[in-house]
Amino acid sequence: MKGQEWYQENDVAEAYEDKRFSGGGRFIDRREKEAVLDALGPVEDRRILEVACGTGRFTVLLAGRGADIVGMDISEAMLEQGRRKARSAGVTESLSFMQGDAGRLPFPDDHFDSVFAMRFFHLAPDPEGFIREMRRVAKEQVFFDTFDRYSTRSLYNWALPMGSRLYSGREARQLVVDADLELANVKHDFVLPYGFYRAIPGWVARPFRAADAALGGTSIGDRLASVSYWDTRVREGPLADPR
Amino acid sequence: MKESLLDILCCPLDKGELELEVIRENDDEILEGRLVCVECGEEYPIEDGIPNLLPPDMRDEAAA
Repeated sequence: MKGQEWYQENDVAEAYEDKRFSGGGRFIDRREKEAVLDALGPVEDRRILEVACGTGRFTVLLAGRGADIVGMDISEAMLEQGRRKARSAGVTESLSFMQGDAGRLPFPDDHFDSVFAMRFFHLAPDPEGFIREMRRVAKEQVFFDTFDRYSTRSLYNWALPMGSRLYSGREARQLVVDADLELANVKHDFVLPYGFYRAIPGWVARPFRAADAALGGTSIGDRLASVSYWDTRVREGPLADPR
Repeated sequence: MKESLLDILCCPLDKGELELEVIRENDDEILEGRLVCVECGEEYPIEDGIPNLLPPDMRDEAAA
């Protein structure tokens, strides 16, 4: 089953966060939010689009920090969770959720200061087309993560029900270049894959996460990492012809 | 959806402007309605406050 179908199910959407970000998964949630906040910098009054926002974990966080933000997802069930979260966080004012297709974004060119997508490209059937669309509607920045091919994630990735695509560093860089984007910064993390953290309680995960982060600070850690965060800039000048 | 979102939305197919038809709304937002492309006439529904800008071919797929 493809991700775009998997996440339409109400029970999948309702269990989404609990399954991934409770127990040891809290460390994943924390690291991902840090990655987004680091890359996007101060977001107050910035126009931001989150593609594949799912249950709005980042959308709501950024709205709370003053961003003028749109969260888009293909799944209504996931967005419904996001709307609930936004209401309870009291941030509905500067935030909008909508359903849409990442391959045909319903926005004019260069509209957003930053466009980002987390946990999206591993589910993307047409990554080249999707990143071009993100680039089209972005004025300055496109930020995304990938799950890495030569990593511990490949041990269980094949068994995941939603289908999950892994990228080598080279493939990810090619995506960036082909979309006429410039790589500003890349960070690698999680020598131990997400599936490991999800399977254990928080108190067990803590020392593993500390060791993982320490190893991640070395070049060996970079090579073994299962997640990469790609921070790119829109290049000046007109878009090259699509190939 | 808030009415101000209309300022930035366009048709995903031809990027034409969208016209809003409200069916039900409250003080904050439009709960039910339609967005209609002034270029191609395609209609995009607003349900439970969430506008659905999926192109028609994907809308059916997603509902399945």
